[in-house]
Amino acid sequence: MPWLTILLALPIVGGLVLMLQPRLSAGAARGIACLVAPATFGVACGLLFGFHPNRGPQRQERHDWISSVGLEWTLRLDGISLALVMLTALIFMITVCALVVKFLPERNPAVYLGLILVAEGALMGLWLAGNLLLFYVFWELMLVPFYFLIGVWGAEGRRQAVTRFVIYTMFGSLIMLVGIVATGVFAQRVTGQFTLDIEALRGVVFTEDQSRWLFAAFALAFAIKLPLFPFHGWLPGAYGTAPIAVTVLLAAVMSKAGAYGFMRIGLPVFPDGAAFWQNTLIVMAVVGIIYGSVVAWRAPTMRLVVAYSSLAHLGFVAIGIMAIDPQAAQGAVLQMVNHGLVVAAAFAVVGLLARRSGREGVDDLGGLADGAPWLAGVFLMVTMASLAIPGSNSWAGEFFILVGAFRHSAWAVILASLGTVYASVYMLRLYQRTMNGPRGATPGKAVEMGGADWAMLAPLVAVMGVIALWPHGVLRATEHSVERVVAPAQQALNRPASEIKAAVPANPPETSLPLPGDPLPQPTSPTPNTGATP
Amino acid sequence: MTPALAWITLLAPLAGMLLLVASGGREPSRGFTRLVGVGSVAVSFACALALFLQMLGKDDHERALVSTAWRWADLEGLRIDLSLLVDPLSMMMMLVITGVGSLIVLYSTEYMGHDRDYRRFFAEMDFFIFAMLLLVMAANFVFLIVGWAFVGLASYLLIGYYYEKPAAVAAAKKAFVINVLGDVGLVLAAVMIAREVGALDFATVFASAPDALGAGSTVAEFVAVMLFVGAAAKSAQVPLHTWLPDAMEGPTPVSALIHAATMVTAGVYLIVRCNVLYQLAPHASEMVAIAGAITLFMAATIATVQEDIKRVLAWSTVSQIGYMIMAAGLGLYTGAMFHFLTHAFFKALMFLVAGIVIHALAGEQGIDRMGGLRRYLPVSWVLMGVGCLAIAGVPPFSGFFSKDEILARAWDAGDLGKVLSIVGLAGAVLTAFYMFRMFFRVFHGPEPEGGYDHEPHNPTIIMTLPVVILGVLAVVGGWIQIPTVNHGINTWLDPSLLADPGIEASHATEWRTIAMSLAAAVVGIGVAWMIFGAGGGRRRIEMADRFPALRRFLLDQWRFDPMIDDAVVAPGRDLGDTAVARFEPRGALGIASLGSGLATGAGRLVRASQNGMVRVSAFGVVLGVAIVAVAMILGR
Repeated sequence: MPWLTILLALPIVGGLVLMLQPRLSAGAARGIACLVAPATFGVACGLLFGFHPNRGPQRQERHDWISSVGLEWTLRLDGISLALVMLTALIFMITVCALVVKFLPERNPAVYLGLILVAEGALMGLWLAGNLLLFYVFWELMLVPFYFLIGVWGAEGRRQAVTRFVIYTMFGSLIMLVGIVATGVFAQRVTGQFTLDIEALRGVVFTEDQSRWLFAAFALAFAIKLPLFPFHGWLPGAYGTAPIAVTVLLAAVMSKAGAYGFMRIGLPVFPDGAAFWQNTLIVMAVVGIIYGSVVAWRAPTMRLVVAYSSLAHLGFVAIGIMAIDPQAAQGAVLQMVNHGLVVAAAFAVVGLLARRSGREGVDDLGGLADGAPWLAGVFLMVTMASLAIPGSNSWAGEFFILVGAFRHSAWAVILASLGTVYASVYMLRLYQRTMNGPRGATPGKAVEMGGADWAMLAPLVAVMGVIALWPHGVLRATEHSVERVVAPAQQALNRPASEIKAAVPANPPETSLPLPGDPLPQPTSPTPNTGATP
Repeated sequence: MTPALAWITLLAPLAGMLLLVASGGREPSRGFTRLVGVGSVAVSFACALALFLQMLGKDDHERALVSTAWRWADLEGLRIDLSLLVDPLSMMMMLVITGVGSLIVLYSTEYMGHDRDYRRFFAEMDFFIFAMLLLVMAANFVFLIVGWAFVGLASYLLIGYYYEKPAAVAAAKKAFVINVLGDVGLVLAAVMIAREVGALDFATVFASAPDALGAGSTVAEFVAVMLFVGAAAKSAQVPLHTWLPDAMEGPTPVSALIHAATMVTAGVYLIVRCNVLYQLAPHASEMVAIAGAITLFMAATIATVQEDIKRVLAWSTVSQIGYMIMAAGLGLYTGAMFHFLTHAFFKALMFLVAGIVIHALAGEQGIDRMGGLRRYLPVSWVLMGVGCLAIAGVPPFSGFFSKDEILARAWDAGDLGKVLSIVGLAGAVLTAFYMFRMFFRVFHGPEPEGGYDHEPHNPTIIMTLPVVILGVLAVVGGWIQIPTVNHGINTWLDPSLLADPGIEASHATEWRTIAMSLAAAVVGIGVAWMIFGAGGGRRRIEMADRFPALRRFLLDQWRFDPMIDDAVVAPGRDLGDTAVARFEPRGALGIASLGSGLATGAGRLVRASQNGMVRVSAFGVVLGVAIVAVAMILGR
């Protein structure tokens, strides 16, 4: 069975059914959504069985689609994809079920659910895409449902927010599209074949200039999506005005797309470019950590605190990737999962508080722990995980990132560590202002967790606990894939051979002969017209 | 030795906490809470005791037990296990934590009797005991750090126990944030060790550190300094000490257990545990010793003007830990641990007696509102007297032996040791003075004007018994190591100290130090008696008026708080405010517009937030200097 195709087709088809059947009864719509999301999660869990951690990409499903432009339906699964697939399936299942049970908007609930499911499918496609153009298709497809979700169901100020979101993202992705085409063309000059298959492009020897500019074209799109400072302009608006469930999805899942792009495409395909831009990106990440932290400290609303904390946390992920070290990169993958879990829980708590009290401001509430001890306890755990207290799941990831990055970029690690001090400041501000101190206008009893809140938060906290106690489980699944991803860039940086854990193939293989009619490959001499445009 | 016992020791308090948390949304019966809260710690103590007896039956080199639960991570060859280490050093800590812990938890059952959140208190206390045990039982740096952070969390929760009180909430946050800074220090030390040694478990690290780090190398110094950042934050050493006095916002048993007997001495444990690393880093060791000496002196001076009984004890704790840190920095590891032991007894004793006094007066903490209490609380009077004599260093009470050992051996530990020994002696005079100032003002003299706010009442046996036991320990605790007679601590800890330089005091030094520290105690107590004891404390007022500037300076606690606020807190806050108000609304291509925005609106901006901008630029300068410094140290 083509399980990978099913994994992404299931939510997309389900979503389309919901959207295109306006006369569907509300009950039926809920039923479909409630069936599709858990089914997707089930398929994702099925992928765990038969996954071989020591093999690279596996379960390949490949069909020609529009081969004249290099677009093929190529799906592959490796450890990194698997981690993100699991995260996506879990978060969407929890969110969709919570929505269906309790928090559905009154206007067009079926379409709303349908859009969410389409977004899930697009994200699944993104994690599995094995072809650059296919990657781009899903990259753009994912934007569409989020555009409508924010633009139609969002809070006040959504117009401006969603416009900014789209402009930022489109700007990046258009440049990425140019990069994709250029990659194909340049690669053809070297290998003699026009292909956009990511595995086939691995190890292609671009000239240094090509590699730098191509990497930059992709990196811009990824940096905007991540977001890296200073490309985070869309973030407060989008996170702040989207319906809270959509914010959960944006922060927990979609924000991983940028980081994933760096790992899937940036490092393995353009190792020289990654080496060239390494320090620039790390500096951006470090600045983002500190800047995001101080802004989160002073942010006026609860949501914005969590939103900016995201900026800081993803900075750590970026450092982990750009340190170009297998330990750090493993930490980064773990941290993508962790951040997804923690930020989803944090937004869930914040959303709960805002909905029950009708207030968004950090200073509007107070003393809630008195009547809501369970909420206070859960919120405390989420707070601690968010500020990455040692012993939490987030700390495990962060620690591995620091261990790996310290080897080559000690300065970045030391500065980034200061960010964790600020993290304790802003997260405790959020926790204490709402839970402790003199009582505010809203009594604690009004916000105590109910059944639906438990159903949403308990699984997240449970998974966080499992990862905290046994990160080895995730690491083992991702180890080999990460080594493969990092190895080419390590080579480009002339790292000692003892650190490079995976073989980097020569591309084209030394034994292969150029095809008749193709220009001769010239891997060593630079081509005359170098630059960003083909 | 049985691994299962070690795991039960560690996990019993955790189980107690989980049981209390899980016992439903409503407050369970007090009897159940008491049973679980105290019982779980008692079980833990019993297991620790059993392990101790087993350990006594072993030869020196067989006294270390490592037990692994599972592999926590295997990161490209960096293997990290969830495993425990029980050796003489951790055994000593375990006994004190669970032993003193049981007594204090028992005491709390009555002390907290009027509280409506009874269950939460015991759940958090049990969590603390678990975390503290994890800290001392961890067999590698990773779980040491985890325990380190968890005790910080427990401390945060218990300082902020009365969470409706803004002062308690603020104190809790301050303690937490400063301790996170300490955690960062530990993490940086650990990542450096991981880079240089390629392992994080104690056995491997300590075995290969001399080769992998190199004696006196920059790397070794970096590791030692970063470990000390952690130790200083946790053990309240200058300049990271400011949270501990504020931590007195927590209930008194919490202060006794966490902020006197156990958690705050974790820094001492850390340095002693990492003795190999400190022996490789002579400069860092000296820095540690000097920081300890500065702390012990500064805190002692501040303690002389405190008016709140718990704050006197808090500053005294800071000062006494200063002695331990100083000793550890000088390489007197056994001396540091010996003083940790006696201090755990007499300081817990004094806090608990203070608790009885506060309880008897229905929450009154100002020593001005006390006085003459020996007539109402005779047992407490005797016990507090024992504690004060012990801390002042009067033989045969326990503090005499441990403090004397530090001062005598410091004198023979090189030039720096001589200087610091003298500082320690000066501290001893101050210690005797401020403790007996408190003692005389609370228990002697006239009753406060207008009488007590609440008729003093004696506690029941539940509260008295633990205090009496601690009183006995505070008397005899020092007898396990009497100069020239026996060496209980030295012999016991020997297998854990892989790099003990073995500094011993000569006989001449020994006798001279005994004479001098006795003199110090007598002078301190005598002066306190003249001012606060004799004649009902009439001379007190004159003294306070004579040096107003000095008094002000001491009352401001050497002005550390405003200094730290200006240098660290305010710049970040103002940068955040400026960013929220100015940069962020424009979107972040707006960071580009930040430049033009600053240029065009410079005047307006400066006027609007003049103060803020100065701090922002100060922050920028600090950050820039930090970056350059770090780049110079580590750039290659």
